[in-house]
Amino acid sequence: MTTLTRLDTVEAFGELREFLRLRQDPRQTVISVCGFTGCKVNGSDAVAEALKEEVRKQGRDDVPVKVTGCHGFCEKGPLVVILPQGIFYQKVGLKDVEAIVEKTVIGGEIIPSLLYTDPRTKEQYKLESEVPFYAKQERVVCRHSGKIDAARIEDYIAVGGYSSMVKVLTEMAPEEVIDEMKRSGLRGRGGAGFPTGKKWEFCRMAEGDEKFIVCNGDEGDPGAFMDGSIMDGHPHAVLEGMLIGAYAIGATHGYLYVRTEYPLAIRSLTRALEQAHDYGLLGENILGTGFSFDLELTRGAGAFVCGEETALMASIEGNIGSPRQRPPFPAVSGLWGKPTNINNVETWANVPVIIDRGAEWFASIGTEGSKGTKVFSLVGKVNNTGLVEVPMGMTLREIVYDIGGGIQKGRKLKAVQTGGPSGGCIPESLMDLRVDFDELVKAGGMMGSGGLIVMDERTCMVDVARYFLEFLTDESCGKCNPCREGVQQMHNILERICAGEGKDDDIDILLELAEYVKDSSLCALGGTAPNPVLSTIKHFRDEYEAHIRDHKCPGGVCKALIQYGINADACKGCERCAKECPQDAITGEKKQPHTLDREKCIKCGVCFETCPFDAVYTE
Amino acid sequence: MARIGVFICWCGANIAEMVDAAAVAEYAGQLPGVVVSKDYRYMCSDPGQRIMTDSIQEDNLTGVVVASCSPRMHEATFRKTAAIVGLNPYTLEMANIREHCSWAHTDRGQATEKAKDLVRMMVEKVRRNQPLEPVRVPVTQRVMVIGAGIAGIQAALDVAAAGHEVVLVEREPSVGGHMAQLDETFPTLDCSQCILTPRMVDIMQSDKIKLYTYAEIDEVGGYIGNFEVKVRKKARSVDIDKCTGCGDCYNYCLSRNKISIPVIVSVADRLDADMKKTLDEILDPAAGRRGVLLGVLQDVQDAYNYLPADALRYVSEKLNIPFSRIYGVARFYNAFTLEPRGEHIIRVCQGTACHLKGASLLVDALGRELGIRDGETTKDMQFTFERVNCLGACAMSPVVTIDDQYHGQMTTAKLLKALEGIESADASRPEMEAAG
Ligand SMILES: Cc1cc2nc3c(=O)[nH]c(=O)nc-3n(C[C@H](O)[C@H](O)[C@H](O)COP(=O)(O)O)c2cc1C
Repeated sequence: MTTLTRLDTVEAFGELREFLRLRQDPRQTVISVCGFTGCKVNGSDAVAEALKEEVRKQGRDDVPVKVTGCHGFCEKGPLVVILPQGIFYQKVGLKDVEAIVEKTVIGGEIIPSLLYTDPRTKEQYKLESEVPFYAKQERVVCRHSGKIDAARIEDYIAVGGYSSMVKVLTEMAPEEVIDEMKRSGLRGRGGAGFPTGKKWEFCRMAEGDEKFIVCNGDEGDPGAFMDGSIMDGHPHAVLEGMLIGAYAIGATHGYLYVRTEYPLAIRSLTRALEQAHDYGLLGENILGTGFSFDLELTRGAGAFVCGEETALMASIEGNIGSPRQRPPFPAVSGLWGKPTNINNVETWANVPVIIDRGAEWFASIGTEGSKGTKVFSLVGKVNNTGLVEVPMGMTLREIVYDIGGGIQKGRKLKAVQTGGPSGGCIPESLMDLRVDFDELVKAGGMMGSGGLIVMDERTCMVDVARYFLEFLTDESCGKCNPCREGVQQMHNILERICAGEGKDDDIDILLELAEYVKDSSLCALGGTAPNPVLSTIKHFRDEYEAHIRDHKCPGGVCKALIQYGINADACKGCERCAKECPQDAITGEKKQPHTLDREKCIKCGVCFETCPFDAVYTE
Repeated sequence: MARIGVFICWCGANIAEMVDAAAVAEYAGQLPGVVVSKDYRYMCSDPGQRIMTDSIQEDNLTGVVVASCSPRMHEATFRKTAAIVGLNPYTLEMANIREHCSWAHTDRGQATEKAKDLVRMMVEKVRRNQPLEPVRVPVTQRVMVIGAGIAGIQAALDVAAAGHEVVLVEREPSVGGHMAQLDETFPTLDCSQCILTPRMVDIMQSDKIKLYTYAEIDEVGGYIGNFEVKVRKKARSVDIDKCTGCGDCYNYCLSRNKISIPVIVSVADRLDADMKKTLDEILDPAAGRRGVLLGVLQDVQDAYNYLPADALRYVSEKLNIPFSRIYGVARFYNAFTLEPRGEHIIRVCQGTACHLKGASLLVDALGRELGIRDGETTKDMQFTFERVNCLGACAMSPVVTIDDQYHGQMTTAKLLKALEGIESADASRPEMEAAG
């Protein structure tokens, strides 16, 4: 690592930026390898190393290999993009490395076998921007993804990074910054969608000798990883956003609270903090403007409730993460009793681009009440799982079918779950809903932090509700009674229904309990805990009734209510299931249809997982 | 010679369903001193009691054992009935084979054996019982409560509220006990001071409560209703009425180590040198800064794979944070564990996408294969298996991490193979070392 020179003046920063910008040649060939979790699991680290080695071997060490933040299309990882053209290679293995350098980087040829082919149309795409997964997206927060090396602050500065901060420090009064945020219409991306400018204003107006700002990187919603990928791939955008916020609010100290389950994000942010310090972009008297601000990182410790702002502050203070009554709101009395402003990762990451391109530009994207874009993690039973950023107001159908490429194995869509454990399930009949803060709430869902979990016909909606309530029972901090006991009782009833022991009045009791828990819980964890139950009862009451009255699980999930069997017409007698079965419950001659002995079967599902012909069924 | 009758009650199905009453009766009949032994559907019914009274008269019984419900229920009934036919009621005892036996057990064979034991004990007791005559003695209407912790304080307040005098004795100079040392109490996490201090004031204000602090019990004599207790007030050489509790006398006292401030043994004295060094490296940079506890505990866990109790005590001393709070924090967060963990840690992601794609089948399979439940460690300390909250690798669901390596699109078959792989790698290691 080179020792950096601390920049003492705004001019010195300007010179550095020019130097870095000029050094960049827009025609330069760059190999960009995605380095986020999805691609890593599939071996991107080894691919990147091999590429570095290969360019050296073939005498082209002038071609940089950059490990970048999430490209989004996790399903097809490891992803490699050759810039400046943007040639898009997917599922790249070590065996492809030599050819990529020889044919594409040096020879300028395309390698067809590495291109993405749309499974439905069989059409092949050469460039990243043409691939349907990317074509409909609009990248604002993730605008640099795949283009800059997240580990290098110089890359960020070269594309205009930290210039918004300089603009704010040199040209704008704090009130003007707040005004700009208000006019942009940015609403908090942490779930509730509170207007960010207004929140900053409250904190600015609050009395206090010391003020804090906090970045909420707890991202506890299961099935969501947008914040994680932003922290990993765009750490400096988060820091810059916080610097701007600190200036507008008058804060001198800030905390990044990151969940411990995200080692990549923690590493990336820690590195970014060091670099910003070394350049003098963080700390005392930043760029000689007289503005001082420091930031430190706190690792969470695996408690969902710590995403709630008052619990999060208790956790930073070193206490049990239990929420407290609001008011007083954090803007008045937060960390150590001082005025504190908490925003979500994605909220902070939106700030620099708003300052850079202006409130009007930002407000031109999105819907009436929800401006800008939203990053979603599109996961579950959808073909193209990954990270997507779309303008507010896009329909769920467009997201799931046009970007997501439809449902896996050609099955039928049943619902899309949004908003994590606080959200709800939106049925297929409402797929034309325009996704923004208000429309989702109307449909019984919630924006939440932005997980979109796609469910197909082989999903049991009662089991989904049971799953979320199990999660919430575990994560309830235990402080208030309605949440601690009420959610537990609801969960008990759901367990019973899934075990085939449901009673006729269970649905009514669930609805009644849901009202109590909603109305009387201390924080929003309990206040929204009944949502998964309410929305599934609202849209999928027939599934509850099938469990209770007919002792059937239409989704084929609830163990107590299903039996496995082998469809003799589809079975090719490949013997794979028989080999894997831990009970030796499957027998048959090779190349002949097999049979399953239900007496021996323990319903572990291995045969179902292994069968390549979909011949194992549940009933 | 004792002539004892034993009567085993079925209490309908309550006892008979779980205890073989006839077998117990037969067994009791063989016991020394027993001359009759019978079982009957309801011993407390009129015909049941008649069986007993007839037998007392016909068989000339000197003692009776009724094996049925709790004596709280029917001891008075049976003793009264026995007295009517001339048996001294104190030679009748009950064996509780219902609440203590049939209701509490699920194995009929074992419950029957236990009922036999209970009956045998009571027969032995009756063999030793002397006929007694009731006498009346006056009772002093005053209560002594020893120990003014929260339980003693509350007991004293309750008795006083019922209109009786109370003498409350506390060994330490101050009341309050352990509760005064706690931070928060389960389940409401109220501050314990908020519960305790108003009651401390109440005992001082109550005119029914006489409080002796810094006093010990030397002798207890007498009997229920008429105890005689000698209380020794320790010399405190302070005029309690004038004392403001400023604490100056403690500071100036020449024999202050004799005053009762407890001597706290520092855990630092017994930590081994390695642990002390490791912990100091973690703690020194944190000292004096705010908001460091979570980070410190994470570093300690990284160093030891879990949070050893002595390490937590040391953290408490060095950071000057109450141990109770540190313990609470360590218990609250999922990422912390107070038990040593296995060499290999397997985590199954519980995110929604993973759940939809069969994570629970993976949990079941691991449980079957390793013979432990999630959160537990195998006996040989090889494997720990945990369910974790979403790891944010949803696109690769279902996800399992083995020693922090991510494995995507996991299936039961793949998981079991991976386990086998680790086991065989571990097994071949010592050989390689030996060979090398
Ligand atoms: C149970 C619970 C969990 C939450 N988890 C998160 C989280 O993981 N990340 C987040 O940014 N906000 C979370 N929130 C919302 C925060 O309390 C807070 O509203 C948010 O950080 C404010 O930031 P914003 O205005 O930028 O949205 C959670 C709220 C509740 C009630």
